[in-house]
Amino acid sequence: MAEALWTRFREGRGIWLSVPAFVFLTIFFIAPMAVLLSFGFTEIERGQVREGTFTLKYLTNTLTDDLFWWVWWKSFYIGVLSTLLCFLLAYPLAYVYSNSGRVMRLLILILTISPLLTSAIVRTYAWLVILGGRRGVVNVTLIELGLIDRPIRMLNTDFAVIMGMTQVHLPFMILPLITVLAARDRNMEAASLGMGASRIATFFKITVPMSTPGIVAGLTIVFALSYTNFIIPQLLGGGGFTTLAVQVYEQIVVILDWGRGAMLALLLLGSCFVFILAIGLAGNRAMRWAEREAAT
Amino acid sequence: MSEMARETHTVATGLDANNTMAIADRLGAFILGALTVFAIILLIAPSLIVILISFTETAYITFPPQGFTFKWYADLFGRQQIIDSALTSVRIAVWTTAIAMLLAVPAAFSLVRGRYPGKAFAGALIVAPQMIPGMVIGIALLFFGAYIAFRQSDLMLILGLTVFCLPFAVRLVMAQLQLLDPALEEASLSLGASKRMTFVQITLRQIVPAAIAGAAFVFIESFDNLTVALFTASPRGRPLSVELYNLVQYDSSPMVAALSSLEILLAFVVMLVLSRTIGLERLAK
Repeated sequence: MAEALWTRFREGRGIWLSVPAFVFLTIFFIAPMAVLLSFGFTEIERGQVREGTFTLKYLTNTLTDDLFWWVWWKSFYIGVLSTLLCFLLAYPLAYVYSNSGRVMRLLILILTISPLLTSAIVRTYAWLVILGGRRGVVNVTLIELGLIDRPIRMLNTDFAVIMGMTQVHLPFMILPLITVLAARDRNMEAASLGMGASRIATFFKITVPMSTPGIVAGLTIVFALSYTNFIIPQLLGGGGFTTLAVQVYEQIVVILDWGRGAMLALLLLGSCFVFILAIGLAGNRAMRWAEREAAT
Repeated sequence: MSEMARETHTVATGLDANNTMAIADRLGAFILGALTVFAIILLIAPSLIVILISFTETAYITFPPQGFTFKWYADLFGRQQIIDSALTSVRIAVWTTAIAMLLAVPAAFSLVRGRYPGKAFAGALIVAPQMIPGMVIGIALLFFGAYIAFRQSDLMLILGLTVFCLPFAVRLVMAQLQLLDPALEEASLSLGASKRMTFVQITLRQIVPAAIAGAAFVFIESFDNLTVALFTASPRGRPLSVELYNLVQYDSSPMVAALSSLEILLAFVVMLVLSRTIGLERLAK
Protein backbone atom coordinates (compact mmCIF):
# COMPACT_ATOMS: atom_id res chain seq x y z
CA MET A 1 0.00 0.00 0.00
CA ALA A 2 2.63 2.49 1.09
CA GLU A 3 4.87 1.23 -1.66
CA ALA A 4 2.23 1.84 -4.27
CA LEU A 5 1.68 5.27 -2.78
CA TRP A 6 5.32 6.11 -3.08
CA THR A 7 5.49 4.98 -6.69
CA ARG A 8 2.51 7.04 -7.57
CA PHE A 9 4.17 10.17 -6.24
CA ARG A 10 7.28 9.35 -8.19
CA GLU A 11 5.16 8.99 -11.27
CA GLY A 12 3.65 12.35 -10.47
CA ARG A 13 0.11 11.32 -9.76
CA GLY A 14 -1.51 11.04 -6.34
CA ILE A 15 -4.72 12.78 -7.29
CA TRP A 16 -6.83 10.27 -5.37
CA LEU A 17 -5.40 11.43 -2.06
CA SER A 18 -7.15 14.76 -2.39
CA VAL A 19 -10.39 13.18 -3.54
CA PRO A 20 -11.86 12.60 -0.04
CA ALA A 21 -11.33 16.25 0.96
CA PHE A 22 -12.58 17.40 -2.42
CA VAL A 23 -15.77 15.33 -2.25
CA PHE A 24 -16.37 16.27 1.39
CA LEU A 25 -16.15 19.98 0.63
CA THR A 26 -18.29 19.67 -2.48
CA ILE A 27 -21.10 18.08 -0.47
CA PHE A 28 -20.84 19.99 2.80
CA PHE A 29 -19.49 23.34 1.64
CA ILE A 30 -20.13 24.03 -2.06
CA ALA A 31 -23.63 22.52 -2.16
CA PRO A 32 -24.73 24.36 1.02
CA MET A 33 -23.32 27.63 -0.35
CA ALA A 34 -25.33 27.07 -3.54
CA VAL A 35 -28.45 26.45 -1.41
CA LEU A 36 -27.77 29.66 0.50
CA LEU A 37 -27.50 31.53 -2.80
CA SER A 38 -30.76 30.01 -4.05
CA PHE A 39 -32.58 30.83 -0.78
CA GLY A 40 -31.92 34.50 -1.41
CA PHE A 41 -33.98 34.25 -4.61
CA THR A 42 -36.69 31.71 -3.74
CA GLU A 43 -40.12 32.22 -2.17
CA ILE A 44 -39.93 30.96 1.41
CA GLU A 45 -42.81 30.98 3.85
CA ARG A 46 -42.41 29.94 7.48
CA GLY A 47 -39.34 27.90 6.71
CA GLN A 48 -41.10 26.11 3.84
CA VAL A 49 -39.26 26.53 0.56
CA ARG A 50 -41.51 26.79 -2.49
CA GLU A 51 -39.32 25.09 -4.99
CA GLY A 52 -39.04 26.30 -8.53
CA THR A 53 -40.03 29.86 -7.69
CA PHE A 54 -37.78 32.79 -8.44
CA THR A 55 -38.10 36.15 -6.78
CA LEU A 56 -36.08 39.32 -6.49
CA LYS A 57 -38.25 40.57 -3.65
CA TYR A 58 -35.65 39.95 -0.93
CA LEU A 59 -33.06 41.82 -2.94
CA THR A 60 -35.26 44.80 -3.83
CA ASN A 61 -36.91 44.94 -0.39
CA THR A 62 -33.51 45.02 1.26
CA LEU A 63 -31.86 47.53 -1.04
CA THR A 64 -34.79 49.96 -0.86
CA ASP A 65 -34.93 49.74 2.92
CA ASP A 66 -33.39 52.83 4.56
CA LEU A 67 -32.78 50.85 7.71
CA PHE A 68 -30.60 48.43 5.77
CA TRP A 69 -28.32 51.21 4.58
CA TRP A 70 -28.14 52.69 8.05
CA VAL A 71 -27.20 49.31 9.48
CA TRP A 72 -24.70 48.75 6.69
CA TRP A 73 -23.04 52.08 7.42
CA LYS A 74 -22.77 51.15 11.10
CA SER A 75 -21.10 47.81 10.26
CA PHE A 76 -18.75 49.52 7.87
CA TYR A 77 -17.60 52.24 10.19
CA ILE A 78 -17.24 49.93 13.19
CA GLY A 79 -15.20 47.56 11.00
CA VAL A 80 -12.98 50.31 9.61
CA LEU A 81 -12.32 51.97 12.97
CA SER A 82 -11.46 48.76 14.81
CA THR A 83 -9.25 47.65 11.90
CA LEU A 84 -7.34 50.93 11.94
CA LEU A 85 -7.01 50.81 15.72
CA CYS A 86 -5.68 47.26 15.45
CA PHE A 87 -3.13 48.42 12.91
CA LEU A 88 -2.06 51.39 15.02
CA LEU A 89 -1.35 49.11 17.98
CA ALA A 90 -0.05 46.06 16.14
CA TYR A 91 2.53 47.81 13.99
CA PRO A 92 4.64 49.23 16.83
CA LEU A 93 4.51 45.89 18.64
CA ALA A 94 5.56 43.98 15.51
CA TYR A 95 8.35 46.53 14.92
CA VAL A 96 9.61 46.11 18.47
CA TYR A 97 9.46 42.32 17.95
CA SER A 98 11.59 42.54 14.81
CA ASN A 99 14.27 44.50 16.68
CA SER A 100 14.28 42.31 19.81
CA GLY A 101 16.33 39.41 21.03
CA ARG A 102 15.20 35.83 21.46
CA VAL A 103 13.57 36.09 24.88
CA MET A 104 11.55 39.22 24.08
CA ARG A 105 10.46 37.67 20.76
CA LEU A 106 9.24 34.53 22.49
CA LEU A 107 7.38 36.61 25.06
CA ILE A 108 5.61 38.65 22.38
CA LEU A 109 4.73 35.47 20.47
CA ILE A 110 3.23 33.88 23.59
CA LEU A 111 1.26 37.05 24.33
CA THR A 112 0.00 37.15 20.74
CA ILE A 113 -0.84 33.50 20.22
CA SER A 114 -2.43 32.71 23.59
CA PRO A 115 -5.40 35.05 23.05
CA LEU A 116 -5.70 33.63 19.53
CA LEU A 117 -6.34 30.23 21.06
CA THR A 118 -8.71 31.52 23.73
CA SER A 119 -12.40 31.51 22.92
CA ALA A 120 -13.73 34.81 21.59
CA ILE A 121 -16.55 34.75 24.16
CA VAL A 122 -14.07 34.55 27.02
CA ARG A 123 -12.15 37.49 25.65
CA THR A 124 -15.31 39.49 25.10
CA TYR A 125 -16.55 38.55 28.57
CA ALA A 126 -13.41 40.17 29.95
CA TRP A 127 -14.59 43.44 28.44
CA LEU A 128 -17.92 43.19 30.22
CA VAL A 129 -15.85 43.20 33.40
CA ILE A 130 -13.50 45.93 32.29
CA LEU A 131 -16.14 48.35 31.00
CA GLY A 132 -19.24 47.08 32.75
CA GLY A 133 -21.36 49.22 35.05
CA ARG A 134 -20.17 51.10 38.10
CA ARG A 135 -17.94 48.23 39.22
CA GLY A 136 -16.09 48.03 35.90
CA VAL A 137 -12.31 48.20 36.01
CA VAL A 138 -12.03 51.40 33.99
CA ASN A 139 -14.63 53.26 36.01
CA VAL A 140 -13.18 52.11 39.36
CA THR A 141 -9.72 53.21 38.26
CA LEU A 142 -10.84 56.58 36.94
CA ILE A 143 -12.82 57.30 40.12
CA GLU A 144 -9.95 56.30 42.38
CA LEU A 145 -7.61 58.49 40.41
CA GLY A 146 -10.11 61.30 40.93
CA LEU A 147 -10.47 61.93 37.21
CA ILE A 148 -14.23 61.46 37.31
CA ASP A 149 -16.63 61.44 40.24
CA ARG A 150 -19.41 59.35 38.73
CA PRO A 151 -19.21 56.19 36.61
CA ILE A 152 -19.41 56.85 32.87
CA ARG A 153 -21.56 54.60 30.71
CA MET A 154 -19.09 52.56 28.70
CA LEU A 155 -20.86 49.33 28.02
CA ASN A 156 -23.50 49.33 25.28
CA THR A 157 -21.72 52.02 23.26
CA ASP A 158 -19.94 52.07 19.91
CA PHE A 159 -16.74 52.57 21.87
CA ALA A 160 -17.22 49.29 23.74
CA VAL A 161 -17.85 47.37 20.51
CA ILE A 162 -14.83 48.91 18.77
CA MET A 163 -12.52 48.23 21.72
CA GLY A 164 -13.82 44.69 22.08
CA MET A 165 -13.22 43.97 18.40
CA THR A 166 -9.79 45.60 18.47
CA GLN A 167 -8.73 43.46 21.39
CA VAL A 168 -10.12 40.20 20.03
CA HIS A 169 -8.68 40.69 16.53
CA LEU A 170 -5.32 42.24 17.48
CA PRO A 171 -3.35 38.95 17.13
CA PHE A 172 -4.56 38.53 13.53
CA MET A 173 -2.96 41.90 12.71
CA ILE A 174 0.23 41.26 14.67
CA LEU A 175 1.13 37.91 13.08
CA PRO A 176 1.41 38.95 9.40
CA LEU A 177 3.24 42.15 10.42
CA ILE A 178 5.71 40.16 12.52
CA THR A 179 6.37 37.90 9.55
CA VAL A 180 7.23 40.69 7.09
CA LEU A 181 9.05 42.91 9.57
CA ALA A 182 11.24 40.14 10.98
CA ALA A 183 12.24 39.03 7.47
CA ARG A 184 12.86 42.50 6.06
CA ASP A 185 16.07 43.60 4.39
CA ARG A 186 17.72 46.13 6.69
CA ASN A 187 20.25 47.47 4.18
CA MET A 188 17.89 50.15 2.90
CA GLU A 189 17.31 51.42 6.42
CA ALA A 190 21.04 51.48 7.14
CA ALA A 191 21.65 53.37 3.91
CA SER A 192 18.93 55.88 4.72
CA LEU A 193 20.33 56.48 8.21
CA GLY A 194 23.85 56.63 6.82
CA MET A 195 22.80 59.39 4.44
CA GLY A 196 21.69 61.43 7.42
CA ALA A 197 17.94 60.85 7.40
CA SER A 198 16.28 60.85 10.79
CA ARG A 199 15.00 57.64 12.33
CA ILE A 200 11.42 58.82 11.96
CA ALA A 201 11.86 59.63 8.28
CA THR A 202 13.55 56.26 7.70
CA PHE A 203 10.74 54.48 9.53
CA PHE A 204 7.98 56.09 7.49
CA LYS A 205 9.76 56.20 4.13
CA ILE A 206 11.57 52.86 4.14
CA THR A 207 10.33 50.48 6.82
CA VAL A 208 6.57 51.03 6.53
CA PRO A 209 6.37 50.95 2.70
CA MET A 210 8.54 47.83 2.60
CA SER A 211 6.12 46.01 4.86
CA THR A 212 3.12 46.64 2.60
CA PRO A 213 2.36 42.93 1.96
CA GLY A 214 2.03 42.27 5.68
CA ILE A 215 -0.04 45.41 6.16
CA VAL A 216 -2.43 44.38 3.39
CA ALA A 217 -2.72 40.85 4.80
CA GLY A 218 -3.42 42.16 8.31
CA LEU A 219 -5.94 44.79 7.20
CA THR A 220 -7.75 42.23 5.05
CA ILE A 221 -8.10 39.58 7.76
CA VAL A 222 -9.02 41.99 10.53
CA PHE A 223 -11.54 43.92 8.44
CA ALA A 224 -13.22 40.70 7.30
CA LEU A 225 -13.38 39.41 10.89
CA SER A 226 -14.70 42.69 12.32
CA TYR A 227 -17.20 43.30 9.54
CA THR A 228 -18.76 39.84 9.91
CA ASN A 229 -18.59 39.56 13.72
CA PHE A 230 -22.01 39.34 15.33
CA ILE A 231 -20.98 38.13 18.80
CA ILE A 232 -19.13 41.20 20.06
CA PRO A 233 -21.83 43.71 19.00
CA GLN A 234 -24.45 41.57 20.75
CA LEU A 235 -22.47 41.26 23.96
CA LEU A 236 -20.96 44.75 24.22
CA GLY A 237 -23.32 46.87 22.14
CA GLY A 238 -26.50 46.25 24.11
CA GLY A 239 -30.02 45.52 22.92
CA GLY A 240 -30.51 48.29 20.38
CA PHE A 241 -27.11 47.90 18.78
CA THR A 242 -27.19 46.30 15.38
CA THR A 243 -24.86 45.63 12.48
CA LEU A 244 -25.37 43.74 9.23
CA ALA A 245 -23.93 40.57 10.76
CA VAL A 246 -26.21 40.90 13.81
CA GLN A 247 -29.18 41.32 11.47
CA VAL A 248 -28.29 38.13 9.64
CA TYR A 249 -28.22 36.25 12.94
CA GLU A 250 -31.52 37.75 14.10
CA GLN A 251 -33.33 37.13 10.82
CA ILE A 252 -32.34 33.48 10.77
CA VAL A 253 -32.34 32.48 14.43
CA VAL A 254 -34.88 34.81 16.07
CA ILE A 255 -37.27 36.09 13.38
CA LEU A 256 -36.92 32.93 11.24
CA ASP A 257 -37.28 34.87 7.98
CA TRP A 258 -34.85 32.69 6.03
CA GLY A 259 -35.30 34.41 2.68
CA ARG A 260 -34.37 37.81 4.01
CA GLY A 261 -31.68 36.27 6.20
CA ALA A 262 -30.14 34.53 3.19
CA MET A 263 -30.18 37.76 1.19
CA LEU A 264 -28.56 39.71 4.05
CA ALA A 265 -25.90 37.01 4.43
CA LEU A 266 -25.16 37.19 0.69
CA LEU A 267 -24.94 40.98 0.79
CA LEU A 268 -22.66 40.77 3.84
CA LEU A 269 -20.37 38.29 2.13
CA GLY A 270 -20.42 40.12 -1.23
CA SER A 271 -19.68 43.54 0.23
CA CYS A 272 -16.94 42.04 2.41
CA PHE A 273 -15.24 40.65 -0.71
CA VAL A 274 -15.50 44.03 -2.43
CA PHE A 275 -13.77 45.77 0.51
CA ILE A 276 -11.07 43.10 0.68
CA LEU A 277 -10.45 43.53 -3.03
CA ALA A 278 -10.25 47.30 -2.54
CA ILE A 279 -7.68 46.88 0.25
CA GLY A 280 -5.61 44.62 -2.02
CA LEU A 281 -5.73 47.10 -4.91
CA ALA A 282 -4.84 50.01 -2.65
CA GLY A 283 -1.93 47.95 -1.34
CA ASN A 284 -0.64 47.31 -4.86
CA ARG A 285 -0.85 51.00 -5.65
CA ALA A 286 0.92 51.96 -2.44
CA MET A 287 3.67 49.49 -3.23
CA ARG A 288 4.23 50.82 -6.74
CA TRP A 289 4.20 54.37 -5.44
CA ALA A 290 6.73 53.48 -2.73
CA GLU A 291 9.01 51.84 -5.28
CA ARG A 292 8.94 54.94 -7.46
CA GLU A 293 9.65 57.13 -4.42
CA ALA A 294 12.54 54.93 -3.37
CA ALA A 295 13.96 55.02 -6.91
CA THR A 296 14.05 58.81 -7.05
CA MET B 1 6.56 67.02 2.10
CA SER B 2 7.30 68.56 5.51
CA GLU B 3 9.82 65.81 6.15
CA MET B 4 11.60 66.61 2.94
CA ALA B 5 11.67 70.26 3.93
CA ARG B 6 13.11 69.33 7.30
CA GLU B 7 15.79 67.22 5.72
CA THR B 8 16.91 70.03 3.43
CA HIS B 9 16.87 72.25 6.46
CA THR B 10 19.09 69.77 8.30
CA VAL B 11 21.77 69.91 5.69
CA ALA B 12 21.65 73.69 5.61
CA THR B 13 21.85 74.55 9.30
CA GLY B 14 23.88 71.75 10.82
CA LEU B 15 23.93 71.39 14.61
CA ASP B 16 20.64 73.06 15.58
CA ALA B 17 18.72 70.96 13.07
CA ASN B 18 20.48 67.85 14.33
CA ASN B 19 19.08 68.68 17.72
CA THR B 20 15.51 68.98 16.46
CA MET B 21 15.99 65.73 14.59
CA ALA B 22 17.14 64.00 17.75
CA ILE B 23 14.18 65.36 19.68
CA ALA B 24 11.78 64.23 16.96
CA ASP B 25 13.40 60.79 16.99
CA ARG B 26 13.05 60.56 20.74
CA LEU B 27 9.41 61.58 20.53
CA GLY B 28 8.90 58.95 17.84
CA ALA B 29 10.54 56.30 20.00
CA PHE B 30 8.36 57.34 22.92
CA ILE B 31 5.13 57.07 20.91
CA LEU B 32 6.29 53.71 19.54
CA GLY B 33 6.98 52.48 23.06
CA ALA B 34 3.69 53.77 24.44
CA LEU B 35 1.65 52.11 21.68
CA THR B 36 3.57 48.87 22.17
CA VAL B 37 2.90 48.88 25.91
CA PHE B 38 -0.79 49.58 25.27
CA ALA B 39 -0.94 46.72 22.74
CA ILE B 40 0.65 44.35 25.26
CA ILE B 41 -1.83 45.42 27.95
CA LEU B 42 -4.68 44.84 25.52
CA LEU B 43 -3.37 41.35 24.78
CA ILE B 44 -2.81 40.22 28.33
CA ALA B 45 -5.12 42.23 30.62
CA PRO B 46 -8.46 40.64 29.65
CA SER B 47 -7.33 37.09 30.42
CA LEU B 48 -5.56 38.19 33.58
CA ILE B 49 -8.60 40.06 34.86
CA VAL B 50 -10.92 37.14 34.20
CA ILE B 51 -8.61 34.75 36.07
CA LEU B 52 -8.28 37.14 39.03
CA ILE B 53 -12.00 37.77 39.46
CA SER B 54 -12.74 34.04 39.35
CA PHE B 55 -11.33 33.88 42.89
CA THR B 56 -13.44 36.69 44.36
CA GLU B 57 -15.56 36.00 47.45
CA THR B 58 -18.29 38.40 46.35
CA ALA B 59 -21.41 36.99 44.68
CA TYR B 60 -21.00 39.33 41.71
CA ILE B 61 -18.07 40.01 39.40
CA THR B 62 -15.90 42.82 40.69
CA PHE B 63 -12.43 44.16 40.19
CA PRO B 64 -10.19 44.14 42.10
CA PRO B 65 -11.44 40.80 43.50
CA GLN B 66 -12.18 40.64 47.20
CA GLY B 67 -10.80 37.77 49.26
CA PHE B 68 -9.80 34.46 47.81
CA THR B 69 -11.93 31.39 47.29
CA PHE B 70 -12.25 28.34 45.07
CA LYS B 71 -16.00 28.16 45.60
CA TRP B 72 -16.87 29.28 42.05
CA TYR B 73 -14.88 26.39 40.67
CA ALA B 74 -16.68 24.01 43.04
CA ASP B 75 -19.96 25.60 41.97
CA LEU B 76 -19.02 25.05 38.34
CA PHE B 77 -18.38 21.34 38.78
CA GLY B 78 -21.65 21.01 40.65
CA ARG B 79 -23.69 22.14 37.66
CA GLN B 80 -24.75 19.14 35.63
CA GLN B 81 -25.77 21.25 32.63
CA ILE B 82 -22.28 22.71 32.28
CA ILE B 83 -20.57 19.35 32.77
CA ASP B 84 -22.85 17.84 30.11
CA SER B 85 -22.21 20.58 27.59
CA ALA B 86 -18.47 20.39 28.23
CA LEU B 87 -18.59 16.66 27.49
CA THR B 88 -20.64 17.34 24.35
CA SER B 89 -18.01 19.85 23.22
CA VAL B 90 -15.16 17.42 23.85
CA ARG B 91 -16.96 14.72 21.86
CA ILE B 92 -17.65 17.10 18.99
CA ALA B 93 -14.09 18.44 19.00
CA VAL B 94 -12.62 14.92 18.98
CA TRP B 95 -14.77 13.86 16.03
CA THR B 96 -14.05 17.05 14.13
CA THR B 97 -10.31 16.69 14.72
CA ALA B 98 -10.34 13.05 13.58
CA ILE B 99 -12.30 13.71 10.39
CA ALA B 100 -10.45 16.90 9.54
CA MET B 101 -7.02 15.29 9.96
CA LEU B 102 -8.02 12.18 7.99
CA LEU B 103 -9.01 14.45 5.13
CA ALA B 104 -6.22 17.00 5.55
CA VAL B 105 -3.05 14.89 5.68
CA PRO B 106 -3.66 12.97 2.41
CA ALA B 107 -4.95 16.14 0.73
CA ALA B 108 -1.81 18.05 1.75
CA PHE B 109 0.33 15.22 0.33
CA SER B 110 -1.54 15.31 -2.91
CA LEU B 111 -1.38 19.10 -3.19
CA VAL B 112 2.35 19.29 -2.53
CA ARG B 113 3.67 16.14 -4.21
CA GLY B 114 1.06 15.24 -6.78
CA ARG B 115 1.19 16.35 -10.38
CA TYR B 116 -2.11 16.18 -12.14
CA PRO B 117 -4.42 18.45 -14.12
CA GLY B 118 -6.73 20.52 -11.92
CA LYS B 119 -4.39 20.47 -8.91
CA ALA B 120 -4.53 24.24 -8.55
CA PHE B 121 -8.31 24.10 -8.62
CA ALA B 122 -8.44 21.33 -5.99
CA GLY B 123 -6.05 23.36 -3.83
CA ALA B 124 -8.17 26.47 -4.17
CA LEU B 125 -11.34 24.61 -3.21
CA ILE B 126 -9.75 22.96 -0.20
CA VAL B 127 -8.58 26.26 1.32
CA ALA B 128 -11.67 28.23 0.18
CA PRO B 129 -13.69 27.84 3.41
CA GLN B 130 -11.23 30.02 5.29
CA MET B 131 -12.42 33.01 3.27
CA ILE B 132 -15.98 32.41 4.43
CA PRO B 133 -17.03 33.52 7.94
CA GLY B 134 -18.07 30.69 10.27
CA MET B 135 -21.53 32.21 10.47
CA VAL B 136 -22.07 31.84 6.72
CA ILE B 137 -20.75 28.26 6.73
CA GLY B 138 -23.19 27.46 9.54
CA ILE B 139 -26.16 29.14 7.85
CA ALA B 140 -25.44 27.46 4.51
CA LEU B 141 -25.33 24.05 6.19
CA LEU B 142 -28.55 24.79 8.09
CA PHE B 143 -30.34 25.71 4.84
CA PHE B 144 -28.83 22.74 3.01
CA GLY B 145 -30.18 20.53 5.81
CA ALA B 146 -33.67 21.97 5.29
CA TYR B 147 -33.55 20.61 1.74
CA ILE B 148 -32.71 17.06 2.70
CA ALA B 149 -34.59 16.88 6.02
CA PHE B 150 -31.36 16.96 7.98
CA ARG B 151 -31.80 18.75 11.28
CA GLN B 152 -29.51 20.66 13.61
CA SER B 153 -27.57 18.00 15.47
CA ASP B 154 -24.15 17.01 16.74
CA LEU B 155 -23.47 15.55 13.31
CA MET B 156 -24.35 18.77 11.50
CA LEU B 157 -22.13 20.71 13.88
CA ILE B 158 -19.24 18.29 13.33
CA LEU B 159 -19.61 18.61 9.55
CA GLY B 160 -19.74 22.39 9.72
CA LEU B 161 -16.71 22.58 12.01
CA THR B 162 -14.77 20.21 9.75
CA VAL B 163 -15.42 22.50 6.77
CA PHE B 164 -14.43 25.49 8.92
CA CYS B 165 -11.18 23.92 10.23
CA LEU B 166 -9.97 21.93 7.23
CA PRO B 167 -8.02 24.76 5.55
CA PHE B 168 -5.90 25.39 8.68
CA ALA B 169 -4.99 21.72 8.98
CA VAL B 170 -4.20 21.34 5.28
CA ARG B 171 -2.03 24.44 5.23
CA LEU B 172 -0.04 23.45 8.32
CA VAL B 173 0.77 20.01 6.89
CA MET B 174 1.47 21.45 3.42
CA ALA B 175 3.96 23.94 4.88
CA GLN B 176 5.80 21.10 6.59
CA LEU B 177 5.88 18.98 3.43
CA GLN B 178 7.30 21.86 1.44
CA LEU B 179 10.13 22.15 3.96
CA LEU B 180 11.13 18.48 3.66
CA ASP B 181 14.49 17.89 2.11
CA PRO B 182 14.13 15.36 -0.76
CA ALA B 183 17.79 14.43 -0.23
CA LEU B 184 16.81 12.61 2.95
CA GLU B 185 14.42 10.35 1.08
CA GLU B 186 16.90 9.77 -1.70
CA ALA B 187 19.62 8.93 0.82
CA SER B 188 17.31 6.46 2.52
CA LEU B 189 16.54 4.77 -0.78
CA SER B 190 20.14 4.65 -1.93
CA LEU B 191 21.19 3.18 1.42
CA GLY B 192 18.98 0.23 0.63
CA ALA B 193 15.79 1.01 2.54
CA SER B 194 12.66 -0.13 0.78
CA LYS B 195 10.28 2.44 -0.63
CA ARG B 196 7.75 1.53 1.98
CA MET B 197 10.24 1.92 4.81
CA THR B 198 11.45 5.23 3.41
CA PHE B 199 7.91 6.52 3.20
CA VAL B 200 7.02 5.51 6.76
CA GLN B 201 10.34 6.21 8.48
CA ILE B 202 11.42 9.33 6.65
CA THR B 203 8.47 11.06 5.02
CA LEU B 204 5.64 10.34 7.43
CA ARG B 205 7.82 10.79 10.49
CA GLN B 206 8.80 14.25 9.44
CA ILE B 207 5.25 15.46 9.09
CA VAL B 208 4.08 14.06 12.43
CA PRO B 209 4.87 17.30 14.33
CA ALA B 210 2.85 19.37 11.86
CA ALA B 211 -0.01 16.88 12.02
CA ILE B 212 -0.04 17.03 15.84
CA ALA B 213 0.04 20.83 15.72
CA GLY B 214 -2.78 20.80 13.18
CA ALA B 215 -4.83 18.45 15.32
CA ALA B 216 -4.29 20.59 18.43
CA PHE B 217 -5.32 23.65 16.49
CA VAL B 218 -8.44 22.03 15.04
CA PHE B 219 -9.36 20.69 18.48
CA ILE B 220 -9.27 24.07 20.20
CA GLU B 221 -10.95 25.84 17.28
CA SER B 222 -13.84 23.39 17.22
CA PHE B 223 -14.07 23.28 21.01
CA ASP B 224 -14.32 27.08 21.26
CA ASN B 225 -16.31 27.72 18.11
CA LEU B 226 -19.50 29.69 18.47
CA THR B 227 -20.16 31.12 15.01
CA VAL B 228 -20.81 27.75 13.34
CA ALA B 229 -22.34 26.21 16.48
CA LEU B 230 -25.08 28.83 16.93
CA PHE B 231 -26.63 27.74 13.62
CA THR B 232 -25.91 24.02 13.48
CA ALA B 233 -25.83 22.73 17.08
CA SER B 234 -28.71 20.69 18.39
CA PRO B 235 -30.99 22.81 20.64
CA ARG B 236 -30.86 19.97 23.16
CA GLY B 237 -27.42 19.07 24.42
CA ARG B 238 -25.79 22.36 23.52
CA PRO B 239 -22.00 22.60 23.26
CA LEU B 240 -20.09 24.52 25.91
CA SER B 241 -19.50 27.55 23.67
CA VAL B 242 -23.25 28.12 23.23
CA GLU B 243 -23.81 27.49 26.93
CA LEU B 244 -21.10 30.01 27.82
CA TYR B 245 -22.58 32.52 25.38
CA ASN B 246 -25.87 32.38 27.28
CA LEU B 247 -24.19 32.49 30.67
CA VAL B 248 -22.16 35.56 29.71
CA GLN B 249 -25.35 37.35 28.74
CA TYR B 250 -27.62 36.37 31.62
CA ASP B 251 -25.45 35.24 34.55
CA SER B 252 -23.36 37.75 36.48
CA SER B 253 -21.94 35.27 38.99
CA PRO B 254 -18.15 34.83 39.15
CA MET B 255 -18.76 31.20 38.17
CA VAL B 256 -18.71 32.41 34.55
CA ALA B 257 -15.23 33.79 35.22
CA ALA B 258 -14.18 30.43 36.67
CA LEU B 259 -15.39 28.65 33.54
CA SER B 260 -13.62 31.22 31.36
CA SER B 261 -10.41 30.75 33.35
CA LEU B 262 -10.49 27.03 32.65
CA GLU B 263 -10.85 27.77 28.93
CA ILE B 264 -7.84 30.09 29.14
CA LEU B 265 -5.93 27.24 30.79
CA LEU B 266 -6.92 24.94 27.92
CA ALA B 267 -5.62 27.54 25.43
CA PHE B 268 -2.26 27.48 27.23
CA VAL B 269 -2.10 23.71 27.04
CA VAL B 270 -2.71 23.88 23.29
CA MET B 271 -0.09 26.59 22.94
CA LEU B 272 2.41 24.37 24.74
CA VAL B 273 1.65 21.57 22.27
CA LEU B 274 2.13 23.97 19.34
CA SER B 275 5.43 25.32 20.62
CA ARG B 276 6.74 21.80 21.29
CA THR B 277 5.80 20.50 17.84
CA ILE B 278 6.31 23.15 15.19
CA GLY B 279 7.35 26.16 17.25
CA LEU B 280 5.46 29.41 17.68
CA GLU B 281 7.43 31.24 14.97
CA ARG B 282 6.13 28.83 12.36
CA LEU B 283 2.59 29.43 13.48
CA ALA B 284 2.98 33.12 12.79
CA LYS B 285 3.34 32.43 9.08
